[in-house]
Amino acid sequence: MSEKLERTHLYEWHKSHGDVIPFAGWEMPVRFTDIREEHMAVREAVGIFDTTHMSRFFISGPQTVQFLQTLTTNNVTKLGLNEGHYCTCLNERGGIHDDLMIYRIGEQRFIWITNASNGPKIKAHLIAHANRYKVTVEDRSKDVVMIAVQGPKALDLLSRMAGADISKHPRFSCISTKLAGRECYLCRTGYTGEEGAEILLLDTPFNESGKKKAIAFWEEVLKQGKDFGVKPCGLGARDSTRLEAGLVLYGHELDEDTTPLEARISYAVKFKVEPHYIGYDALLKQKETGVNKTRIGLVMIDRGIPREQYPVLADGEKIGTITSGGMSPVLDCGIALAYVKPDSVKDGDTVEIDIKGRVRKARVVTWPFYDPQKYGENRSQ
Amino acid sequence: MSKGTKGTKVVDGLYYTKEHEWAKAQGDLVIVGITDYAQHALHEITFVEIMEPGTAVNAGEECGLVESMKASSDVFSPVSGQIVEVNTALEDAPETVNEDPYGKGWMCKIKPSNPKDLKKLMDSKAYTAFIASK
Repeated sequence: MSEKLERTHLYEWHKSHGDVIPFAGWEMPVRFTDIREEHMAVREAVGIFDTTHMSRFFISGPQTVQFLQTLTTNNVTKLGLNEGHYCTCLNERGGIHDDLMIYRIGEQRFIWITNASNGPKIKAHLIAHANRYKVTVEDRSKDVVMIAVQGPKALDLLSRMAGADISKHPRFSCISTKLAGRECYLCRTGYTGEEGAEILLLDTPFNESGKKKAIAFWEEVLKQGKDFGVKPCGLGARDSTRLEAGLVLYGHELDEDTTPLEARISYAVKFKVEPHYIGYDALLKQKETGVNKTRIGLVMIDRGIPREQYPVLADGEKIGTITSGGMSPVLDCGIALAYVKPDSVKDGDTVEIDIKGRVRKARVVTWPFYDPQKYGENRSQ
Repeated sequence: MSKGTKGTKVVDGLYYTKEHEWAKAQGDLVIVGITDYAQHALHEITFVEIMEPGTAVNAGEECGLVESMKASSDVFSPVSGQIVEVNTALEDAPETVNEDPYGKGWMCKIKPSNPKDLKKLMDSKAYTAFIASK
């Protein structure tokens, strides 16, 4: 391999506690103990994830709002101070460059958080467009560590570390606070379907001192979370939890040839915005004329685990392809996301998945795959 | 056993493939499974599927599939012949392959079309060197 893999500040900790693998140009832990155990810690207690490999841009200047509205599909003007939202960044055809979060941390100051796999592409895109506006784009990826704390006990743990009640801040808010005495931004968002937050640790430069600080913080979270049942979690559990929640992953459900309408993430898209973002016209047209494909959820009826690229069949005819699949620890069977022809199936229908030449039955379902009364941030107990 | 060995256990008297399957002569049959190295790499095995008894297989071709939380992995037959028995206990307890890959985690028994096929494979010494080089 000619390209050197990147490492986060927590690499030494990951290497000595877990199984490190290459991912999107980074050496990241896929698991620390068992993926299933880590997954269930997120569903039943609290799990922590190092997400520092993702890119973080701080954007400011008098034309920040217009700049962001040109590049993203949700309503930027509507974001109040300390509010964030999920959105997409499109190409001219309405296809997706990236799905991302933006948070307003000042009158004209925002944080943009982008997938690790799209870091260089989005950085170039931001810089190219920033030339036309009075904005400054600062890449803070290397000196701001990011840790996700997710699970039904996550807010209790974070409140303990903040010495204040975190749950009083609404979902999607981004507040400046201190955790265990460390300055950070706490964003009440996540990628697991559970309650929790994503923490941006400030003042962690990528040097020996910054790495020490980051590891000390990570260990402090594990220490203070011990009686909550906290577990460190790797990319394996990150993928299995987001899949069970029905959340999309760039490179699987999203790419340059897929629109947010096809992906059924239309909550990331608004049309009553000014200026119109790149891709607006193409998306509006598609809204009027119809999508080329549509995302569905599948639960296995027969034995087997569906995996990406496996064909989906209805009455023996191919109607689509799996984009993500795996074992659901909660359901104890295979689940998947797939794209199929529009109007080819509806929830409750039985389809077939071609698993390496063996055709197995699955049922079309809507997400989340787990029972939202028992698991997830809206659970009733 | 397997949780402590970190995937390095190799059993003498068995034959090994580059794809990390093992083969053992038992009477006129060959028993097949995956090695400690393979189960360790896959980690939590969730599902094992071997082709049915009666299926003809060729050496080096797929005869089954192992699923883990991380990924799917094909099982390649070490010898040519016909599958005569499949370890059905793995249906309800796939984790047996992680726990005891050379014993209770056996996957299938093949009647080889040419028993000399086994000699083409690596012995325990060669396989130990093979995995050490990875």
